[in-house]
Amino acid sequence: MALADRIYSTFFKRNSVYVTSIFAGAFAFSIGFDMGINSFWDKYNKGKQWKDIRGQYVTDGAEE
Amino acid sequence: MASVRSATKAFTLPPTVRALPSGVPSAKYINLNARAPADEHGHGHGSTHRSDRPPKWAAGIQLSSGGFSTKTFTTVSPTVNFQPRLLHTSARNDDASHAPSFKAYQPSSSSTNRAVSYFMVGSMGVLSASVAKSTVTEFLGTLSASADVLALAKVEVELASIPEGKNSIIKWRGKPVFVRHRTQDEVSEARSEDWKTMRDPESDESRVKKPEWLVMVGICTHLGCVPIGEAGDFGGWFCPCHGSHYDISGRIRKGPAPLNLEIPAYEFNEAEGKLVIG
Repeated sequence: MALADRIYSTFFKRNSVYVTSIFAGAFAFSIGFDMGINSFWDKYNKGKQWKDIRGQYVTDGAEE
Repeated sequence: MASVRSATKAFTLPPTVRALPSGVPSAKYINLNARAPADEHGHGHGSTHRSDRPPKWAAGIQLSSGGFSTKTFTTVSPTVNFQPRLLHTSARNDDASHAPSFKAYQPSSSSTNRAVSYFMVGSMGVLSASVAKSTVTEFLGTLSASADVLALAKVEVELASIPEGKNSIIKWRGKPVFVRHRTQDEVSEARSEDWKTMRDPESDESRVKKPEWLVMVGICTHLGCVPIGEAGDFGGWFCPCHGSHYDISGRIRKGPAPLNLEIPAYEFNEAEGKLVIG
């Protein structure tokens, strides 16, 4: 299969490329994972967090 | 097992050695072709056979109490393992219908198989590297100061509340901090002094960020008392404990203290007119 061979020769053939892409993937994965978890948390606690209800207590004119 | 039959012939020779009248030993009728018995006569050959002699059990001449004896085996048993080779005519059954087929378990494409295997290993590496990174960062995060400590570490002072020519004492990290709004006369007085001959030589420019605002830790550098403001011989601070005199820039001029009053880290918040110490 051409696709599998191309993937193999691009990423897996050289160990330096392999390890580098693993670390880059870990970096990207941790950012994406954090963003996903945070968005889930915000959606799950919608209407309970301070940033959601801030408008009910603080008006932009009056600084606390 | 083939039997070993030996033809043994023993004979006895009369003593044939005698001395001739001339003194030369004479040995008649002796068979000079007879070879010495094959033995390990202390030559260090061990018990292995010598290649130039037939082994004892095959043939040879032995000297025993009965005299010389020679023996020769007519049939010698084989000295190596003997296995018969058998022929058979049954053909190999290549398409045995009763054998299960492993086709379903064999990879359809070896390159796909290889790429998937490496991808799985790499995914494991990605996950474990991510876990390791977040473990390290979370652990290092526990070492940093918490929010309440950081909130206590800084003090804000409203600059407009201190009129010109007045002192203000603020508590910062358990220590008093003097903030003096200096008049123009005091600034010029502090800058006109010859600071190079002082005990702890420091120019007034290096001690303040803005000339009208002097910010110092209010602890006498001698033994830690709190000096009194607007007192002393030099118009600055005076420590009542042991009589150290500081001038209007907080520099030690007279008395036992060794160093000038310490300057904390501070900055001005121009937008809100505040002084942030810490």
